[in-house]
Amino acid sequence: MKIYDHIQNLSARVGAIQVIAFILLTLLGARLYYLQVVNGEYYSDRAENQRIRLIPIPAPRGAIFDRKGRILVDSRPIYNVVISNDGLKHASGADKVADYSSGLQLEPQFVSERLSVLKKQNEFESLVLKENATIEDIAWVEAHSLEFPELRVELQPQRHYPLGTTLAHVLGYVGEISPKQLESDAYKDKGFRPGDIIGKGGLEQYYDEYLRGRPGYKKVIVDSRGRVQSELETVPPQSGQDLVTTIDLDLQNTAEEQLANSVTKRGVVIAMDPNNGEVLAMASAPSFDPNIFVKGASTPEGRKQIAAYWKDETRPLLNRAIQGRYPPGSTWKIPESVGALQEGAITVAHSNILCGGGITVGNKLTRCMSNHGSPPLDTAITRSCDGYYYRLGLKMGIEGIIKMVETFGFDKRSGIDLPNEKVPQTPKTWMKYVVKHEGKWSDIRTVYASIGQDTVVVTPISMLRAVSSVGMRGKEYIPHFLKEFEPIAAVGEEGDPNYIPARAGFAFQHPEPNLIELQPAQWDLVLKGMWGVVNAGGTAGSIRIPGFDIAGKTGTAQVAEVGKDTGKNRDHSWFVSFAPAYKPEMSVIALIENSGFGAQNAAPAVRAMYESYLTRRDGQQPATQEVAAR
Amino acid sequence: MVALTERGLRDFDWQTAILAILISFFGVWQIHNAVPSENYWSKQIFGIVIAFIAFIVVAFTDYRRLIDAAPIFYAFGLVLLFLVLTPLGVEINGQKAWVRLPLVGQFQPSEFVKIPTVLMLAKYFGARKSTVLTLREALVGGAIFAGPLALIMLEPDAGQAITYFPILAAMFFLSGIKIRYVVIGTVLAAVMVPTAYIVGVKTGKIKRYQQERILAIIDPDKVDPRGYGYHTIQSVITVGKGGISGIKGDPETSQSVLKFLPEPQTDFIFAVTAENTGFIGCVSLLLAYALLLSRMIASARQASDRAGMLVIMSIVCGLAFQIFMNVGMALGFLPVIGVPLPLMSAGLSAILSTFIAIGFVVSVRMRRFVN
Repeated sequence: MKIYDHIQNLSARVGAIQVIAFILLTLLGARLYYLQVVNGEYYSDRAENQRIRLIPIPAPRGAIFDRKGRILVDSRPIYNVVISNDGLKHASGADKVADYSSGLQLEPQFVSERLSVLKKQNEFESLVLKENATIEDIAWVEAHSLEFPELRVELQPQRHYPLGTTLAHVLGYVGEISPKQLESDAYKDKGFRPGDIIGKGGLEQYYDEYLRGRPGYKKVIVDSRGRVQSELETVPPQSGQDLVTTIDLDLQNTAEEQLANSVTKRGVVIAMDPNNGEVLAMASAPSFDPNIFVKGASTPEGRKQIAAYWKDETRPLLNRAIQGRYPPGSTWKIPESVGALQEGAITVAHSNILCGGGITVGNKLTRCMSNHGSPPLDTAITRSCDGYYYRLGLKMGIEGIIKMVETFGFDKRSGIDLPNEKVPQTPKTWMKYVVKHEGKWSDIRTVYASIGQDTVVVTPISMLRAVSSVGMRGKEYIPHFLKEFEPIAAVGEEGDPNYIPARAGFAFQHPEPNLIELQPAQWDLVLKGMWGVVNAGGTAGSIRIPGFDIAGKTGTAQVAEVGKDTGKNRDHSWFVSFAPAYKPEMSVIALIENSGFGAQNAAPAVRAMYESYLTRRDGQQPATQEVAAR
Repeated sequence: MVALTERGLRDFDWQTAILAILISFFGVWQIHNAVPSENYWSKQIFGIVIAFIAFIVVAFTDYRRLIDAAPIFYAFGLVLLFLVLTPLGVEINGQKAWVRLPLVGQFQPSEFVKIPTVLMLAKYFGARKSTVLTLREALVGGAIFAGPLALIMLEPDAGQAITYFPILAAMFFLSGIKIRYVVIGTVLAAVMVPTAYIVGVKTGKIKRYQQERILAIIDPDKVDPRGYGYHTIQSVITVGKGGISGIKGDPETSQSVLKFLPEPQTDFIFAVTAENTGFIGCVSLLLAYALLLSRMIASARQASDRAGMLVIMSIVCGLAFQIFMNVGMALGFLPVIGVPLPLMSAGLSAILSTFIAIGFVVSVRMRRFVN
């Protein structure tokens, strides 16, 4: 170098710059090696994760039909505004809440709740922000796709209950799985995710596993703003299985009508085939509209209505047929009579017991309605003689009554295919408690227990089941709604990773009936008494249908002490029955809350059910001819 | 100007020219990869053609005559920088770094003014006779440097301003600044930079987004990935994703096409290169830069005068620094400041000024035997 200047070490300085430049480039190379060669796969996955999105395709839920194939529940497509959680994960939700709630007409409270649920989800999953989006909502989402790319509109099936309040308790409803349920044992480890729709209450819950389909998904590529760029694959969903129930919609409508026209509009009507336990109708009033739970959970008005259901003192959400426990009153005398015969407290030849117009236990007189002399069992049933049963109860002893409770299964659930059935309470339940607090089980409690009061409360379904078994001369079937589930085809090719196998159809598996053993003559005696209630000047003679002999028993169950039994404390009115008396085709129970005498209120409702049944049974022939003629 | 004689062609630095052209066309390919749907890549080809013509003109012009005229260029440069601050200035992305002139169009003066600054400094430091840098010389050099720097800081364009510092550093270092000052300066910088950062944060002089850019490097997992740290994180993902030999399969799903990577054709062109060509492509590019810089340094050693040597070395330092800053940013260990990658990033001003600078290097080399 001509300009070499040794004092300046110029060459060395130039060399130093060169070395530094090379060191810097080497540094870059080392970092590249670390990022690309050592961690290349990690970053490749990260890149894939942020561009691949799984969009679930909800599976249509199985429909529910009555026994004649009429629709009880189906699904219809609606538009939902769906929000995906990437992009929100780290953004503060506060400013979004205001935007969403004003844009989609939602309550800010609700929006922030949804966002907090969403944040707990895995990345790149989504949740419904607004169901049943209106045209305005859809337009708003489309117009704001740049500001809120996390929102999209999806066509999704929504559960629809065309019958409204009819049969609501039996059907139940569907809703989003709650955070609590997600963590409960019943749902944990079954692959449920927030936002999944499950059955809540009724058949929807009991048969959820079969009604629910298997969701599919769409795998898509999105850009940095979450906008879908292209579709990679689509895995179709598998629909749920259709459920054919044992319900007869015509009978159900009659039952609902009877309750709607009753004095208090509160009560239960159940109709069952005693030959196999198929429930033909089950109405509980007051009722609710399941559609409000399905559609209303995301709107302020809907939430208000739901809250009102919960607060309502008449408890419309309670399925009184399986969850209401009522003193059975005189209907209790039927199973008790069977128990007394079985245990030998009375015999067919010597079944007479003194009525005496009542009984004095200690210094307390408990009255009968009148003085029936010393009637045999059948007359005691027909006339509903309390005096007879006071003494019969004492004769059986509380142990005998408890044995009867066990014989008929009043100490267990009926086993009906609905969730949350209540177990009746009987002296068996209370024995320990009473002995502990009162020292012994006193006779007066036995006297009360013998006419279905005090320590006895039963569910209407348990009473119907017990009395039906009397009609069947001892064969006690499990009441149920399932007739059959329809099969569903497989999705995809076998061997395919997304293959979902077919699901077979199946019918209700009848277990062996509970057998209550009694001699034919003994059955005859009880049946004669029950037949007489309607057909031989008994307590319900007013509901007699000529040519179709109803066997039944009235009940007037005290709610409060004598003297206070007015207004809302009036007696519950019961009527439990089957018909025809000696070859039953249908059994019916009716309970009208706080309406007074069984014969006056419950019995006519039962008669209406049989009439409805007969119209269709006997009217079937001309009806088909008419159809054929057309 | 040396005529295109046989001798001229013989002395012409083909190696440097070919390397520069190769790198810039490699850049065109990456610009296309970055945004296939836009015509940035074809604009870049146009820019390279213009730049190459300018390069030839400068290379065949005697650099000594240009250095003599340095004060005129320098004054002209200051005027251009001043124009940016007038209503003629154009604001893009919140930065007023461009100017639009009739006939010429829109360009970024701070890119070009580096050259007059280099020439002016080379004229001054090349003429001095002392063997050790005196305080007076340092002050005069600092003053020459301060003019354009102050105007750029007023834009404000901190990223461009930073690229000016290596020029001054090279001048001082090669003008015999005492090593002890170099050491003191380095130590001071090592202490002052973090201190200044902390003070800046405390007093609020360093804005929140600037802080986040720094924090994204120190601890990328803690920063809001959707905020300013996002750029760093996405760039690192893009680079890493490239693996050993680059992405295979659908380019439609690349980080830049899906817009995960910001500014892919300019600031983050290296990340695009990394995604598309992998470790192999990146290392090849870095080797090409190393070769180019080595060749330039070799030319500096053969320069016929001190001014020529200073011109080359300050250009070398400027380029090396820009490469390091830009790639370091793409690799996630330097903060995100808008420094283009020489010869690669899309942009007419950048490609033109870089080729002109390399033209000076070739011009100096061609006259290594002339004395």
